[in-house]
Amino acid sequence: MSIIAKRSTRVLIQGITGTAARIHTKNMLDYGTKIIAGTRPGGGGGEVHGVPVYDSVAQAIEKHPDINATILFVPPKGTKEAALEALNAGIKIVVMVAEHVPLHDNLEILEKGEKKGALVIGPNTPGLISPSEKTKLGFVPSQYFIQGPVGVASRSGTLTYEIVSRLTLNGIGQTTCIGVGGDPIVGTPFPKILQFFEKDSETKAVLLIGEIGGTKEEEAAEMIRDRKITKPVFVYLVGRTAPEGKRVGHAGALIEGSRGTIESKLACFSEAEVPVAETPADVIRIAKEILKR
Amino acid sequence: MRLYEYEAKQIFQTHGLAIPNGQVVESAEEARRFASQIGGPVVIKPQVLTKKRGKAGAIRFASDPDQAFRESQLLLGMTLKEEKVSKLLVEEKVEIDKEFYVGMTIDYSFLKPVGITSRSGGVDIEEVAQEKPAMVKKVRFSISEGPTEKELAEQVSVFKGSEQGLMREVTKKLYQVFKQYDAEMVEINPLAFTKHGEAVALDAFLNVDDDSLFRHSDLVKPRGMTPEEFEFEQNLKEMKWKYIEMDGDIGILSSGAGVTMAILDMINMHGGRPANFLDTAQMNAEGIYKAFSLFADNPKLKVLLVNIFAGLNRCDDLAMGIKRYLQEHPLRMPLVIRMIGYREDEGKSILKEINVETIRSLEDSVEKVIQIAKGAE
Repeated sequence: MSIIAKRSTRVLIQGITGTAARIHTKNMLDYGTKIIAGTRPGGGGGEVHGVPVYDSVAQAIEKHPDINATILFVPPKGTKEAALEALNAGIKIVVMVAEHVPLHDNLEILEKGEKKGALVIGPNTPGLISPSEKTKLGFVPSQYFIQGPVGVASRSGTLTYEIVSRLTLNGIGQTTCIGVGGDPIVGTPFPKILQFFEKDSETKAVLLIGEIGGTKEEEAAEMIRDRKITKPVFVYLVGRTAPEGKRVGHAGALIEGSRGTIESKLACFSEAEVPVAETPADVIRIAKEILKR
Repeated sequence: MRLYEYEAKQIFQTHGLAIPNGQVVESAEEARRFASQIGGPVVIKPQVLTKKRGKAGAIRFASDPDQAFRESQLLLGMTLKEEKVSKLLVEEKVEIDKEFYVGMTIDYSFLKPVGITSRSGGVDIEEVAQEKPAMVKKVRFSISEGPTEKELAEQVSVFKGSEQGLMREVTKKLYQVFKQYDAEMVEINPLAFTKHGEAVALDAFLNVDDDSLFRHSDLVKPRGMTPEEFEFEQNLKEMKWKYIEMDGDIGILSSGAGVTMAILDMINMHGGRPANFLDTAQMNAEGIYKAFSLFADNPKLKVLLVNIFAGLNRCDDLAMGIKRYLQEHPLRMPLVIRMIGYREDEGKSILKEINVETIRSLEDSVEKVIQIAKGAE
């Protein structure tokens, strides 16, 4: 078992004819992901690595009604239009890899996703991978991931590879690793992902790789404190020593108050009795301890 | 990107929000001329990006043109929070009856826009929200539809019956600005109610989302920085890189915000002092060459740490970029390269050709740069 990315996932690639999309379509197919179709607005026809290309999402779905997920390999400017097209066509899993999607576009996409009962992942995410299902949605480099009991959710792509490759070297495999996205606004933040892992029978423990800014770590900690999440969760938090006031540029202070700081996050996890790793090596030590129990 | 008060006010005005009669000036003589046109008391405000101008005593009043001249002379050339004052906004003084607060921003917990209103205007609204939350009304609404009639009624419920109609109009217009300018935050503080029953924006704050600037190219110009600084920033923006300056002596070049922050933490926790870091988005030979160009002439660096974890990119490609740079420009400071991932052996042998060794472990490379930095003291 795993979450969201499964053997049964039938994938559409929006913007499949772009350079990066071609490379990653090949990588995903090689890994085992079932890619059914692709789109290129205004330029359907032909194939990319044997995957048929259509004009629009609606056309692709008409030919392949089994499509149930889409990955957007489109630039930030075109992300809103592409995401709304997919959501309006009834696709329930939408992965947005682009970085620098305008905030208001992002809000609109999430609003539509909620109305349609769809899961929006990202933006600014490398995607997700489920080793036991031989399925990845996005561009995570699959060589660092093996099958096993730990669910991983992270706000950062490169840090995920750094940490998960160490888990893998130590023989600790993963159910699903998901990049929730590095933006202040993402469709499936930590609290939502924790609920997915809680329900997944194969996941024995969950690793959250968080950072300063935003309040999603705090909200996750509160869910654990309130016993809404019963599986063991452990955390690696970065940005402890980041220069103050330089990174979090948004005007959230009025809403968030003192939440979002490293002190606030550490206090919430401590209250929820969640172990927090200080270094990458620490993550492995805690993982081993938890899995021994 | 923050707009200057006068820029935000121009935008407010085109959306039907009243602003005081005013003019931007760059000399005391211009200020005198405008004040005599007005023929009454004026307010003089430096156009800088720092918020608390009032607290710094930098908002001045003048009752006649000569006083306007003198006050403007004092303000021009002043430095507020490292920003030199070169423009002033001179405005007719408004007869204030009451001062309120109205703003809109994004609620990052609920992932929705939120309208904020208060009867306490002209003060630090963040303090009011912390200390007397009941004085501040927050109403979340749909980004695509804007506030509904019901939400507007809720939003203005903190005001007296006679004030509500006008507040409702102001809130609606402010939403238009919020939406059209991709605002992270838009704020009128204070919003004055005049004796003539008019609502006038005495101040204006508008922060436009940087990622939306392709839709607002008319707004992009240097603000609060020298032309050189502006060019540097624009270059970084074009490359989608993040560069941050600190006061230590270890330079860091890495890819990805998360892993870069992890390296900062590790260096700080082991007694090292980062000087600056560059978080490049996805990297190739050309990119790493450019990145080196950014660091090479920084005199405060005692050592440079390069972290390469090749998942999507290739070690050998990056090694080629580094080799090219080092062959053209000998480095002043020692270099530590941590390299691991796809085509690692090939990358290693390319760097060996120019006698540069690489390290596989992140911990070891961090330890090494700290040692070098300390040894150099």
